[in-house]
Amino acid sequence: MHEKVTRQMMLSLEACVHCGLCTDQCHYVLANPGDITYAPAYKADKIRKLFKAHLDWTGRAAPWWVGARSVFTDGELEELKDTVFGKCTNCRRCSLACPMGVDTATFNRMARGLLCHVGIMPEGVAVVAKDQWEVGNQMGVLPEEYLETLQWMEEELQSEYNDPSVKIPVDQPDCEVMYTINPREVKYDPRTIAEAAAIFHFAGESWTMPSVGWDQTNFGLFNGDDEFGGAVARRVYDAAVRLRARKVVISECGHGYRSTRCEGPNWGRIDVPVEMESAVITMLRYIKEGRIKVDKSRNSIPVTYHDSCNIARSCGLIEEPREVLNAVCADFREMHPNRAENYCCTGGGGAMSMSEYAPRRLKSAKIKAEQLKATGAKIVVTSCHNCVDGLFDLIRHYKLDMQVKQLVSLVANAMVVPEKPAA
Amino acid sequence: MIDETSPLVEFAEDTLQIAALSFMALVYALKVRWMLKFPAARDRQARTGHGHTNPLKGALYSLGAIALPWTVLSTRQHPFFWVQFAVFHTAVAVSIAMSFIIPYGPELIADRATVLALQILFAAAIVIGTGRLIRRLANPYMRAISSPDDYFSLALLVVWFAFSFLAAPNTPQQAEWPLLGYFFLTAFFLIYVPFSKISHYLYYPFARWYLGRTLGHRGVYPIERGLKA
Repeated sequence: MHEKVTRQMMLSLEACVHCGLCTDQCHYVLANPGDITYAPAYKADKIRKLFKAHLDWTGRAAPWWVGARSVFTDGELEELKDTVFGKCTNCRRCSLACPMGVDTATFNRMARGLLCHVGIMPEGVAVVAKDQWEVGNQMGVLPEEYLETLQWMEEELQSEYNDPSVKIPVDQPDCEVMYTINPREVKYDPRTIAEAAAIFHFAGESWTMPSVGWDQTNFGLFNGDDEFGGAVARRVYDAAVRLRARKVVISECGHGYRSTRCEGPNWGRIDVPVEMESAVITMLRYIKEGRIKVDKSRNSIPVTYHDSCNIARSCGLIEEPREVLNAVCADFREMHPNRAENYCCTGGGGAMSMSEYAPRRLKSAKIKAEQLKATGAKIVVTSCHNCVDGLFDLIRHYKLDMQVKQLVSLVANAMVVPEKPAA
Repeated sequence: MIDETSPLVEFAEDTLQIAALSFMALVYALKVRWMLKFPAARDRQARTGHGHTNPLKGALYSLGAIALPWTVLSTRQHPFFWVQFAVFHTAVAVSIAMSFIIPYGPELIADRATVLALQILFAAAIVIGTGRLIRRLANPYMRAISSPDDYFSLALLVVWFAFSFLAAPNTPQQAEWPLLGYFFLTAFFLIYVPFSKISHYLYYPFARWYLGRTLGHRGVYPIERGLKA
């Protein structure tokens, strides 16, 4: 703990006055009224007790007076695991609601790291992190599988546009853009790779995908291990340097964007020599610069937008997706609350990989389901793969008449492809 | 006024306060030194967000949020709670100020109107503090997060406000016990706070500064509330 607590965390651990104002800001609390174990301050105190027992002056001198207590038994360790992994998605909504500036999500992640260091974590987190470490991506996609999928998508695109010049370049050096993705796109939804490729192609972009270092996701964000997170992020930075790309464009993935763009340099203490941006910003730039033409009437079904916590609350990517939506959709409706005050989809913090907590995740998703329903939209758009899965689950569970899509799909659908001159 | 007081009152309002303040200053200095031993995380990455902000703007916005309840989600939803906070903490500041005014500038609070205003403020703080204590005892969420220090600190302040109320007229010639109670409690308060939750007033500006700096760097602070269609 001594090594993991930063000054910001120490201040958050000391500054809480137990006012309880964070209680009704958490989707778990709202969906489970009366269950005190979901209250953010209660969850935070599980960690605060440890801090006070080991580091705080009063906590060490008179532990009972300030509620300081270390963990002694396997049962207590399990309880702590259940709290930091199973009852908090690290969405940071309570952090922004705290009058004292207590950033609970940050030290909740630190506590996850402490548990992981002693080998206590949900199996899903352990397995996925192991795959990411050993295979190079979190879903254990083999190099052949990855390259074959890109080849397949390239052929699909050439057939769709009847244009053999549409390519998905791999390891092309000196490009303007190196595009990174979430392995989920290879495994379950390769259409998003094809859609992004079509947008790059028709925008006339000089771009490539790397054969190694293409996974922008990072389980270091979820297991709280900064060294792991830094090493994983470095793979992407190294790929960009190796290919001499001018910019890394990160596909629509909430935790991938946050980890690669915002946290990786800090975890790994790396001064990244390459510019990085979200594909949302890239698409918006293409639209604004007229590099792609879009027709919003092609997306006429009412859509709403779900702000991914990692993207909005932790990285400030808030207005750009809305600008894109207003450009490519005829009927865009906000849900409330939104932007940095939005509720978590309930799939954040690695929750989608922890199947043991799925029932409580779906129960707490009631808040998001009500938010979605109130919009009357038929499509919920999000810029995050975890949110896609989380929202898909809750839509099915609460029987909402809705689909989940990503911006890239709507932009590709709205894109007006120039007619090829007859040969 | 000092000439009319007994040596005990004189000791309580002067020597004792100086000793207690010196002790508090020493402990706080050590606490700040302790805080600085923890390494500060920094944001190495290039800034994100819409370009309307920066770390300094974010930090200042975050610090100012305590006085701008509509900028923080929880206080926007619970404005009465914020009003209670404002009155309670104003009373704390005024009562501390009074511990300097009574011995060194009693004429500043000599007129009846000022005394009445002070007593109204302290009475309001007593009501709020008692309400908070009841809330802490009655609400199961609050009970679950409360430690003995939480209860004691709140009770201590309520009793201190009661003595502040009684001491505000500053009439030792009528009875010395309100002043003695007030000054001895103030001294205890000064000695106790660095070790209790009341020390949040030392930490919270730093906590808000760092959170704001990070969120300013990331384009989140100042927050856009999303009331636009």
